[in-house]
Amino acid sequence: MTDEFSSVWSYRLKWLYLLLLVATLMVPVFYNLYISFNKFGFGAYNYEFTLQWYSVVFQDQLLLSAFGWTMLLALCTVMTAVPLGLVAAKFFKTTRFKVWFVALLLLPLFVPADIVAASLLVFFKNLSFSLSWLADMTGLSWLGGWFDLGFMTALIGLIIYTIPYIFIVILITMGRYHPQQTEAARSCGATAWQAFRDVEFPQIRAGIFSAAAFTIILTFNEYTRTSMLKGGFDTFTSVLISQMLNTGMSEQSYAMGGIVSLVAILTIGGIIAFTMLRVQSLERTQRLKVNADMSG
Amino acid sequence: MKNTTDIAVESIGLSKNYGTVTALKSVDLKIASGQYYVLLGPSGGGKTTLLRLIGGFLRPTNGQIYLHGHDVSNVPPNLRPTSMVFQSYALFPHMTVAGNVGYGLKLKKLPSAEIAEKVVAMLSLVGLSGFEDRLPHELSGGQQQRVQLARALVLESDVILLDEPLAALDAKLRKDMCFELKQIQEQVGITFVHVTHNQEEAMTIADRIAIIADGELIEEGTPQDIYREPVKRFTAGFIGENNIVDGKVTAVKGTQAKVDVGSTTIAANSRSKNLSVGDQVAVSIRSELCRILGENEKNVRNVQKIPATYVEEFFLGLTVSHLVRLKTGADMIVRESSDRAGTSEFSEGDDIYLAWELGDARLHTS
Amino acid sequence: MIRTNKTQVGGGRTILASPTFFGRLFGDNGLQKYLFYLPAIFMVVFFLIPTLLTIVWSFFERTLFWMEPGFTFFSYINFFTSARFDNFLSSMFHSGISVIICFILGFPIAVFVRRHVPQVAQHRVILLFILPFMVSEIIRTFMLRPVLGRNGLVNTFLQKLGIISEPITSILFTPLGVIIGEVMSFLPFIVFAGFLAMEAVPKYIFEVCQDLGASRWRVFVDIIVPLAAPGIFAGGVFIFVNGLGVALIPNILGGPGAVNAGLIATQAISALDFPLAMAVSAIMMITLLGLLFVGHRLFNLTRILEPIA
Repeated sequence: MTDEFSSVWSYRLKWLYLLLLVATLMVPVFYNLYISFNKFGFGAYNYEFTLQWYSVVFQDQLLLSAFGWTMLLALCTVMTAVPLGLVAAKFFKTTRFKVWFVALLLLPLFVPADIVAASLLVFFKNLSFSLSWLADMTGLSWLGGWFDLGFMTALIGLIIYTIPYIFIVILITMGRYHPQQTEAARSCGATAWQAFRDVEFPQIRAGIFSAAAFTIILTFNEYTRTSMLKGGFDTFTSVLISQMLNTGMSEQSYAMGGIVSLVAILTIGGIIAFTMLRVQSLERTQRLKVNADMSG
Repeated sequence: MKNTTDIAVESIGLSKNYGTVTALKSVDLKIASGQYYVLLGPSGGGKTTLLRLIGGFLRPTNGQIYLHGHDVSNVPPNLRPTSMVFQSYALFPHMTVAGNVGYGLKLKKLPSAEIAEKVVAMLSLVGLSGFEDRLPHELSGGQQQRVQLARALVLESDVILLDEPLAALDAKLRKDMCFELKQIQEQVGITFVHVTHNQEEAMTIADRIAIIADGELIEEGTPQDIYREPVKRFTAGFIGENNIVDGKVTAVKGTQAKVDVGSTTIAANSRSKNLSVGDQVAVSIRSELCRILGENEKNVRNVQKIPATYVEEFFLGLTVSHLVRLKTGADMIVRESSDRAGTSEFSEGDDIYLAWELGDARLHTS
Repeated sequence: MIRTNKTQVGGGRTILASPTFFGRLFGDNGLQKYLFYLPAIFMVVFFLIPTLLTIVWSFFERTLFWMEPGFTFFSYINFFTSARFDNFLSSMFHSGISVIICFILGFPIAVFVRRHVPQVAQHRVILLFILPFMVSEIIRTFMLRPVLGRNGLVNTFLQKLGIISEPITSILFTPLGVIIGEVMSFLPFIVFAGFLAMEAVPKYIFEVCQDLGASRWRVFVDIIVPLAAPGIFAGGVFIFVNGLGVALIPNILGGPGAVNAGLIATQAISALDFPLAMAVSAIMMITLLGLLFVGHRLFNLTRILEPIA
């Protein structure tokens, strides 16, 4: 794709720079993995490959329960935020107030985690005080305790955090969908829901699944919002952070970091590999059909 | 129940606004059952809006739509007895041809054997037998439109709506598909409502044409009527190639009116319109019915003529066009078959007369 | 005209003359319509209102464990007249430097990918930068300690190569460490934003410029930057504001004076000084909205949305 006169070497140098930059950004991650597999831990002169630090992590009941909470949070976020993001993307296509709507949905991207978390924390505390006061006043006890810090408040924080990403990913996938197909389906007798299920969804499925994968990773990695809003329970990253900041890094901490990194790397790697294989197989079947047509 | 089955589509006072923009203003339209009906007009004139209102993809701001006498104004598209064919990209890309055509039948929960049978029959009707297992992207543009047609026809709806179905095809294919669409429509006998901005396509295919522009139904009639005897000035300007001169009525005698067109006064048949002196009118003449008379022919009788200046000649293949300019500055075209045309006997700047037979002029009051 | 509720027309398709209750509830104009407002409502209730209310709460009186309604400038005085404000200003300065470094390192990549990589592969190349972005920021930031530390990767590597004899210790726990952390964390964003922004620069422009004999630098300054300005600006604001607001980076990599707005807010919350935390949040929100407003006035930020709208 370069023009005919420019040198091949400058093109290759640019590629080298690009890959080097990605590699540099990944250095801390790979270094973490490297340490986590060393029997002697950080800074040791000797290196011997071992999985023992990982098995220590998986034998720790506290960590396992933190891991469970994290997975539960991630799952609940996917179940709520992805449908919300999908509905938001559908709404965006039809609304007349596109700019305001996008601003509202994407602004959380720009507000730093600690700031969102602090304002949500105070918001929830106020809500929960007001509601329990109302419950006392009216005697309606079911009013109380709704927004006490806990699983639900952490979940709301995570939905706010992930929705912009989900919205963008689904919107980009929808850009390749031709809306007259929905009309064609309606014209064939499908209800709005049937048209979505049979015609639109199969075509934007890849986007929805990638959005779900991103959501799981983002939730898994998230620390600031969750730790401020979670109330009692521990998540994987909040345990890791408290080890890092308070008790210092142990070999086990590196293994925990390794797990967090590997979850992300394997998921993203899986998505990339899957899309590439799919594109290739589509191309292959198309070629086969063309060949068959030519010979037949 | 009133027997209105001979009218397939009827709209009464139908209008559509988008916020402050009016896309369609109060259209009254009747389409007889079994007709090939074409909505013709310039882009952005409201013809697609009208079609989408009939199909139920838009909700009317005012007025009603009746399909075979039933008010469907508030019925969603999936419950209307209409099927739509779109311009492009409307096939479901993840379904095979058979899957596309059978989709509506599957929604009706027909047994799969019956679906398969109907799909095969319909594909053979549109000339695509053996294409059942292809995917849409493996088909040519013309084939894709045939699949869309089959998908619409297989539901045995009362009305098939076609939204610029041939616009994405190249000129040669469009012509062939035109004839084929017409044949299929005659074979199945279903009412077709077809939107296009291409007048050649409309002329070829239509039983009746409605001209739609600026959100209004300008006029409606058979292709012959619309071409030969347009009622409205807009139609004359839009269909075929007409020379139009604006003027003022100076005298009315029986069916004859005298019109002052600036440099001279011409006569035209009033066509049973109530005219009075001083009315603003327009007179149109088809360019192929015009002639050029030289200075030496100015005494030829029984023709209408306006003094003009010869400007230029254009060779167009089948025909040759001559551009002449009236004293008012308006450009007029005279078209003749290129077989008859030698090299032009006139050259730029010659004083000539633009002439036509008395009966060829049509008078428009609006 | 007499009409029954259900009528058979034509090929057996049923027209429902008047929709049933169920149809009205779940049809195109029933609950379904309101379902589409749900994301907007959610974002207003749990994002817009809490962030706007920070301004109200910042004027509240501090109590021992919580706060009570009132109107006092105490939190603002507390913020602007203490060392916090100096720290805030210097974190702004460091953040600004990070933005510039990210732009210099990252934006050329967006240009390169748009210009020289085949259309179909462009997204996949950009996807490479998702990889570091998707690995937890905590790990990427915290692991810079062992990477840059006294016995860390960089020092060991340089010593083995013989470039340095003594380990470099002036990186960690200094402003330089914070800037490195910010660049490592936020660089992918300038690549993404730049990539989106370059959508506004059609490819033929490069050919036209070459034809006119413009130098690379002139093409960059006169054509690419103005056309891609909204996207570049959005990416820049993102990095700048996160540099101010993400507490983790100065907390882990900075020295004693490296305190940004995010860290002030979290420290205030740990100290149960909620009005102060809210004042800092309000200041951050106003900074962010102010920057976006200025950017919108200068470059019309809605242009970024054109590719997706």
